[in-house]
Parts: sequence; C-alpha cells; structure tokens
Amino acid sequence: MRIYLLIVFFLFIKAISAQTTISGTVKAQKDGTLPGANIYLKGTYDGTSSDVNGRFSFKTQKIGTHTLVVEFLGYEPFAKEINLTGAEITLLIGLKETFSKLDAVTITAGTFEAGDKKRANTLTSLDMITTAGAAGDVFGALQTLPGTTTNGESGRLFVKGGDSEESQTYIDGALVHTPYISTAPNTATRGRFNPFMFKGTIFSTGGYSAEYGQALSSVLLLNTNDMPTQDQLDISVLSVGPEIAGTKLWKNGAVTATLTYNNLQPYMNLVPQNFEWKKAPESTAAAISIRQKTGKTGMLKVYASFDDGKFKLAQDDLDQNKKIDFALGNRNTFVNTSYRTALSKNWSAATSASFTADADDVTFDGNQFDKKLSGFHLKQTITNELNEKVTLRGGGEWFSRSVEQTFQTVTDTFVNQYDNNTFAAFAEAEMYASKRFVTRIGGRVEHSSYLKNTNFAPRVTAAWKMNETSQLSMAWGWFHQNPNDDYLIYTNKLDYERADHYTLSYQSAKNERTLRAEVYLKDYRNLVKQNAGEFFLAESYNNNGSGYAAGLDLFWRDKKSIKNGDYWISYSYLDTKRNYRQYPELAIPTFASKHNLAVVYKHWFGKLRSLASVNYIYSSPRIYNNPNSEKFNGERTLAYQSLDISWSFLFRQNIIFYGAVTNVPGFKQEFGRRFSDQPDQNGMFKSAAIIPGSDRFYVIAILITLTKKGTENQLDKIQ
Amino acid sequence: MKTTIFTLIITLIALTGFAQKAEYYQAMGESLGQYANCKTPDDFQALGNRFGMIANNEKEEWLPLYYHAHCYIIMSFMEPSDAKKKDSYLDVAEKSLKQLETMVPTEAEVFALQAMLYTARLVVNPMERGQQYSMLTAQSLGRASALDPTNPRAKLLKIQNDMGSARFFGKDPKEYCSQANDLLAGWDSFVPKSQLHPVWGKDQAEELVKSCK
Repeated sequence: MRIYLLIVFFLFIKAISAQTTISGTVKAQKDGTLPGANIYLKGTYDGTSSDVNGRFSFKTQKIGTHTLVVEFLGYEPFAKEINLTGAEITLLIGLKETFSKLDAVTITAGTFEAGDKKRANTLTSLDMITTAGAAGDVFGALQTLPGTTTNGESGRLFVKGGDSEESQTYIDGALVHTPYISTAPNTATRGRFNPFMFKGTIFSTGGYSAEYGQALSSVLLLNTNDMPTQDQLDISVLSVGPEIAGTKLWKNGAVTATLTYNNLQPYMNLVPQNFEWKKAPESTAAAISIRQKTGKTGMLKVYASFDDGKFKLAQDDLDQNKKIDFALGNRNTFVNTSYRTALSKNWSAATSASFTADADDVTFDGNQFDKKLSGFHLKQTITNELNEKVTLRGGGEWFSRSVEQTFQTVTDTFVNQYDNNTFAAFAEAEMYASKRFVTRIGGRVEHSSYLKNTNFAPRVTAAWKMNETSQLSMAWGWFHQNPNDDYLIYTNKLDYERADHYTLSYQSAKNERTLRAEVYLKDYRNLVKQNAGEFFLAESYNNNGSGYAAGLDLFWRDKKSIKNGDYWISYSYLDTKRNYRQYPELAIPTFASKHNLAVVYKHWFGKLRSLASVNYIYSSPRIYNNPNSEKFNGERTLAYQSLDISWSFLFRQNIIFYGAVTNVPGFKQEFGRRFSDQPDQNGMFKSAAIIPGSDRFYVIAILITLTKKGTENQLDKIQ
Repeated sequence: MKTTIFTLIITLIALTGFAQKAEYYQAMGESLGQYANCKTPDDFQALGNRFGMIANNEKEEWLPLYYHAHCYIIMSFMEPSDAKKKDSYLDVAEKSLKQLETMVPTEAEVFALQAMLYTARLVVNPMERGQQYSMLTAQSLGRASALDPTNPRAKLLKIQNDMGSARFFGKDPKEYCSQANDLLAGWDSFVPKSQLHPVWGKDQAEELVKSCK
C-alpha cells in the first residue's frame, strides 16, 4: 500500500515537472513553408504560431495523450494525437489547401462576368454605366468588349460574326423577347432597361452552358438587384425627360415604382438633326418592382413594366422620288418574375417566368403595317451540390411565341401569323478535379411544336489554372435557334439553324491588370436561304445556308498603372463569310467589320469629386451590296469612328450632375447606302447614304436622391 | 463520510473550473499585453491565432472572438496591396463577428467593431464599394451608439468617418474637431466592464485632435 502511494506520489511529481517541447515545421503540401500557422494542443492554452520559415516550437506541462491542431487560413486543419512524456517531439506537418470555388479555376472561355463584388472581374456593372459612349445603355457598354462589332445604324449586339438576332437577353433567368426599343429603319436603338436595375451581368460570347438555348451567338444574363436597403425617392432630370422612382420597404420586402417620361422635342429644337422629324420620339413608361423574402433562403422578385412610345419621321422614298411619312407607335408590356430558394442543404431550385406583349403600329405612305408579338417563357432549374467539387444542374423550359403581321394597303389586307411552343430540357454537371481543373459537361434537347422537330445540343467546357495568375479555358458545343419570325410567318417547313462553337481562351490576371486572348471558330449550318420565288410562299425557303466566323479577341484592362485612372482596350479580328437569306453566294455579311477597337479610359479627380470618362471606338469598313454593281456585297462603307466623353460631378452627397457628348470631333459616320426597290428608266437603282440621326448626341442630367437621413446618393449610378 | 467525499468532489470540480478560469485570465492578459508589441501583419496574425485558440477553449466568452476579429481587421488594413488577401482576412473577421452577434446581441463594442470591418471592406475598393459599405458602416455605428451612447470607440469611428467624408466633399473637417476634443477629454471616464474588455482607440483619438491643430 505504501509503495502504491509512493508511486502515485512520484507520478504526480512527474506530472507537474514534466515539460515537453514540441517543435517542427509547417509546410504546404504542394510547395513552400507556411508562416503564421496556428499550432496548439486542443483544449489547452499551450500553443504558438509558425515563424517566417514555417518553424515553430513551444513547451507544455501537459502529459499523456493530447491532440495537436494546426490551422492556417486557406488550408484544411490538421490534427494529430501525440503522447506527451517529457521527451521532445519534432514534427513535419504538411497542410492541404482547402477547396474553395471562390479561388478555384473558373470557366472564362467566351464569358465576361461582372458584378460579383468579391471576385476579380474583368468588368463590373459600374464600368458599364460610366462608359461615356454608352450613354447609360447596357448594350452600348457591351460594345466596348472584344467580340462585338458596332453597327451604328442598328445599336444592337453583333457578336463574333453573328447577326443581332442570334443574341438573347435573359433577366433573372427568364427570356426577354423584346430587349430593344422600337425605332425607324436604319436608326440606332437602345435597350429597354435601366442599367441601374442590375447588380450583375454575365455576357457570354460563345460556348455557354446547356442551360441556355435559342441563341446562336451570345447570351446576356442580367441579374436584378436584391433587397433595397431603405426608403428613398430618386428624381432624375435628363435632357430627354424626367424620371421619378420611389422605394418603400417593409419587414421582408420592398417595392419600387418608377415613372419615366421622355420627349426629344425640346432637345431636337436645340441640336441640329439629320432627319426630318414630324413628331419627335416621345415615350411614357411605368414600372413596378417587388421584392419579397420568403423563409430563410427564398427570394421572390416581380418586375412589371408598361411602355408606350411614338414618333413620326419624313423619309425619302427612292422609288417614288418624294418624302413619305413613317410613323411608329409601340406598346410594350413586360412581366418578369423569379423565385429562388434552397430546398435543403445541397438542393436548390429556381423558377423564372416572363411574359411579353409587344405591338408595333407602323404607318407609311397610307399603308398600315402592324406587328404583334406575344411571348412567354417558363423555366425551372434544380441544382444539387453533390459535394464541394461536383454540382449537378437540370431543368425544363417552355417557350411560347405568337407573331402576327398585318399589312394593310388602301385595297388589300394581308395577315400572316404563327404560333410556336418550344419545350426544352437540359442537364449538366460541373466537376472540379482540383482547384486547378474544372470541366462542365451538359446537353440540351428542344422540341418545337411548329417546326415539328427535335434538336439535341451537347456542350463541353473545361478550364485549367496553370498558375496563380493564368488560366486556359476551352469550350465546344452545338447551338440551335428557330429561324427568324419573318420566315416562320410564311412557312414551318424549316429546320433549326445551327452554329458549332470552338473557343480557346487564355486569361492572366495579376495586380488589377487583366489580359485575355481568345481564338474561336464558329461553323454555321442550316441557315435559312430564300430563293428567287415569291417571299410569301413556303417553297421559297430552305435550310441550305451555311457560313463560318473565325477570329481573335484581345482584352487588356489595367486599374493599377495610372493613379486614380482605369482603362481597357479591346481588339477583335474577325474573318467571316456566310451564304444565307438572299445571298447568291458565300459573302462577307453586311454587319461584320474585320478590325474592331475600343479604348476606354476613366479618371477619378478627387479634388473635383468628379469621374471623367473618355472612349474611342473604331470599326473597319463594312460591306454592303450595290444592286447597280455586278459584284455582290462589293461596296465598302466608311470606317466607323467615335470619340465620346462624359463627366460626373458629385455636388452633394445626394446630388449628382452628369454630362456626356458622343462623337466629339464629329467624325463622319456613314453606314452604307440604301437603294430603291425598282430600277429607274435607265436601269439604275437610286441610292441614299445611311447616316445617323445627328452628328453628336448630348446628355445632361441631374440625379437627386431623397431619404429620411438625406445622406444617400446615386453615387453607385455614375461613379 | 459520504458528505465529505461529496464536498471534496465538488471542491475539486470547482477548483479545476477555477484553475481553468485562471488560465483563461492569464492567457487573455498575456495576449492583450502582446498588442503593444505587434508591428507587422505576421505579428497580428500570431496574436489573432492566440485569441482564436482561447476562443476555442472558452465557448462562453465573447472577448477572445472579439480580439480575434480585431486582429484580422488590422491585418487587412496593414496589407499593402493584395485585395484578395485583404478580403480573405476580413472573411475570417466577419465569421467571428457573426458569431459575436448571436452571442452578445446587445454589446455595443461588437457593433463598433462591425463598423470597423465594413470600413475595411470599403477601403479595399472605395470606388465600387463606397455606396454599399458606407451605409453598412453607418448602420452598425447607429446600433452601437443606440446600445451604449457613451462607447468611445463607436464615437471615434463616427468622427473618423464624418471627417473623411467632409474632406471628400470639400467641406471643412474641422467642424468635427470639438467632438474629437470632447472624445479625448472624456476618454478615461469610460470605465470598461473588466480588465479584459476593449480599451483601444485613445491614440487614434489623440491623432484626430492633433490633426485639428
């Protein structure tokens, strides 16, 4: 018994006197030592941090089995049971990098992403708004990115040798049937939506996910703002009209109502116009936007707008040798809703729906031409994060589209219409092999009730991060789209048009400098051809058209080199030919420019509280057809050039002044020539130059925000 | 006999508990003493690690988490240029602050620190984050001063923000000098609830007063 007690006593003494030194080195499994790692015995106060060489050493009085924990930001925690006996312990610890999608490789082939504030971006939503030449138009801003060609007489997006109708716009996942406002032929349009509505933008110029169909060339994905943070009233007075927007919050929701009135008459009285306006463009728009949080993760968004616009213009009719009036009235109703929620830890669902009713009433020379479109899109997506490296996504879509065109002359009325329902299903898997390698494989099936035809589209993308700053991406896929309305109203004996994309993209980003280089090839097939027969006969159309587009896109962005300055340069080289529509042969299409350059510079003048922006855009001459010439598409337009400036001045915290001028030097802009339909008595087609509505465009605005506190402003709008 | 054993056990448990608390006070005291010696981001990381370890041991105590977040916010301010690093430090701080918000939802110090976190987020990219984070900073400061109108750190951050925005709008930041003077004069009258509670900020208040002269 005594001996037993003695042993206990000695053990006790040993326990208080035993001191174990634990030392070692912490390394990253891949490369290098880790300074600043946290090393400690679990449940005790004994521990230390590793030094600059990753080495550490500490002493502990504890004995017996304990758990040694090593932690370091960005690495998986390490734990090891050690037995403390008083004998020195030396360890070499290798930490494994944690997998986080935020700093893992991303698929960048063909994609410009903006808005996700924590990610390194090529372009943010703010950049879009403050780009001088865009004058607040989303589509205008996108035309400073590589892969796009500016068509001054259109204003729409032309991407990588694709026609404007090959690009689709989605808001919160739902299709926007009429993204552009209605204009007269050969005059530039703008987007219908205020860029301030959106918190994020993804502009994909090719190789996009299987989630998106019905687009041969590009998809623009706009994501609207989440919950506003306070009640406020925004008043904007622009040189073209006023806008007032009020926001009211409640517990888990908010509503914003906006009223806009635009009338270009006073502006046109001041600034000389190239067109003879009988009635200047005038529009009234009302919109309401509702946000409601449901449960812990659900978010319901509803946006509804009604837009009414009209104008009247006198244009030379080259056949009749006189001026005729062209009058247009447009009414557009648009509803967009989306709901997303988490179903469980790994499952989430998103539902989006949109509805569009659009009517153009055109009157010219006593004739009446009415175009009615009603469109509906419903989409359900289910996402399953199988584990941190594998995400599965699948869903279904229903596109409905009704088009009716009525042409009424003094004597006759012609009505053509069609209804189509397209049902689609898609599935894709995104798999990270490691932080450095990701692939996304997916497929898409579509069936059109009108074309009575089904298509299948495989899509594959992969990206490889070569080192901390550089990565390489590739994308391949088939893309289908229904033929243009103008053909479908006459026939349903057509097949889907198709484009195959091959994209290889390199991106390097370091220190707020980004370089991107991308080469691509697009192979067009099944394009609609119109033969010499009458345009209203079904037999006049077939799918025998084809074409290709190949090019190189370069993008350089530098926010670092110039203090308070930020610039980007985009250059695109495009080689494209196609034989479609009424083309007699393979030819360069009229919307394509071989060389496209955009230089955008922004400078923040702190003392003046001003952001100045200047940009220069150049597109090499485009091709157009002269029916008087033997050669098809044999004429060249002038090169397009524009130098635009803008100035934003933060007068008070809640008052901003804004001004912009486009084409400051007054570069001559001419977008080809239009020709008479019939030759004159000498067999010649008469022609006239296609020119912009005015040589320069001026915008002046004052933006005022009123809140209870009176300190907020619309800074995010223009700074 | 039974009672004796019982008492003994209770005493032992209490003593162990006490011993552990004593260890906590000692570890906190030592770590807080380290603040003065921290010069580089690495120093703050080591100190932050230490607070993180203490927080792991003392799940009921909010102060270790508070200092853990504080160290990581300072690291973000000290990081010269790497925006990604700055944000990753702030992600760590934000995680601790989220925990703090549920642990002690009525503690003014926590919301003052939250305001500091939002300011640090703003500093990473003022052009893009200005609007959002200046608003969040103001909200957090509002909550802090509502919970404790005498908290000097909330006042300090408020004056710093106001002076910064006055400078930005070309107004005279000196209009806030009297507030800065009052703050510094009254600094020592604020009595922290314990020796371990936050006391930092006096040197920054002194700097504000100096900048007024």
